[in-house]
Amino acid sequence: MKEKKEGRVLDILLTFLRFGCFTFGGGWSIVAQIQKEYVEKKHWITDEELLDFTSVGRSLPGLMIGNTSVLFGYQSAGIPGALAALFGVILPPVLIMVAVTFLYGLVKDNVFVARAMIGVRAAVVPIIISALVKLFKAGMKDIFCYIVALCAMVLCLSGSISNVLIVLIGAAAGVIYMEVRSRHDLH
Amino acid sequence: MIYIELFISFFLIGITSFGGMSMIPLIHEQMLSHGWMTAQEVADIVAIAEMTPGPLGLNCATFAGTTAGGALGAFAATFGVLVPTLTITIAAAVFLKKFKESTIMGHALHGIRPVCIGMIGAIVVQQAMINYSGSLLFGISWQAILIGLVSLYLLLKRHFSIPMTILTAAALGLIFCSVAPV
Repeated sequence: MKEKKEGRVLDILLTFLRFGCFTFGGGWSIVAQIQKEYVEKKHWITDEELLDFTSVGRSLPGLMIGNTSVLFGYQSAGIPGALAALFGVILPPVLIMVAVTFLYGLVKDNVFVARAMIGVRAAVVPIIISALVKLFKAGMKDIFCYIVALCAMVLCLSGSISNVLIVLIGAAAGVIYMEVRSRHDLH
Repeated sequence: MIYIELFISFFLIGITSFGGMSMIPLIHEQMLSHGWMTAQEVADIVAIAEMTPGPLGLNCATFAGTTAGGALGAFAATFGVLVPTLTITIAAAVFLKKFKESTIMGHALHGIRPVCIGMIGAIVVQQAMINYSGSLLFGISWQAILIGLVSLYLLLKRHFSIPMTILTAAALGLIFCSVAPV
């Protein structure tokens, strides 16, 4: 059992080093990458758990991508797993950023870099959609979920209240709804 | 001590912001008040953060840290911005794992999961508005739309990995945007 866990820490570190190289678009592709690797391929976590990590990670202070990685890493291999995931996911961007800092003058107005970046940015939305398609079933169990999801989307887009509040309202709504439903079932 | 200043400054940025573009005003204020970056450099860093992987807060920490205090400065700033993740999030992870089996937590998650779906939906709309805009054709970039559709097809139907999709999209961007202006 212990051996298995140590193997996991190394697996997380190496996999998250790769994830870190491709976290374009505000880090949301991390969700798609974890889904593909650890839900579909390795079956370490479920789609439901990934949704939990994402919403909690997004609503805590700090970097969403780091938070989500830590939540996944802890669940899979305890504190060492959390640290391995965090270190893995931030090291590539830091190294690339140091390189870009020195080469900034060269990169800044380079027409080829700009053209390639139009392509990379165009791929961000499809990547997020691919995660959304797979997570949809896990999050949407009944009509209540559709209403909550729609409200959350509108609130996020309006930008009028913080994400923490939206998640807390969702949690409260879930508790109240399930309570009412279980009482209703008793009668 | 420049390193302690960098650490404290980025600790404040990390603890008071909740990801993404919400960090920009605070980063702007902290960088200018310490004289670590000019307003132009802050604008540039936002553009660079777009073209390199990794979140904006981390990229700013690395850039400001490196320019203000070399490698050690970069380390101090990066460590500062990660403090909330290393403390609050780890505590949340322990809490989440411990109480996952409880009934009330299960009920709360029944409401939290669709919230997450809604959030991701909102991100799709926001990112689409930024990434598919161009100067021609009613403000839409046809190249970007085309690359987006190809990427979606590759991801969902051809089961391309995410790195392969990003590399393919970059190559298509080079080709399409060289053929016709954006």
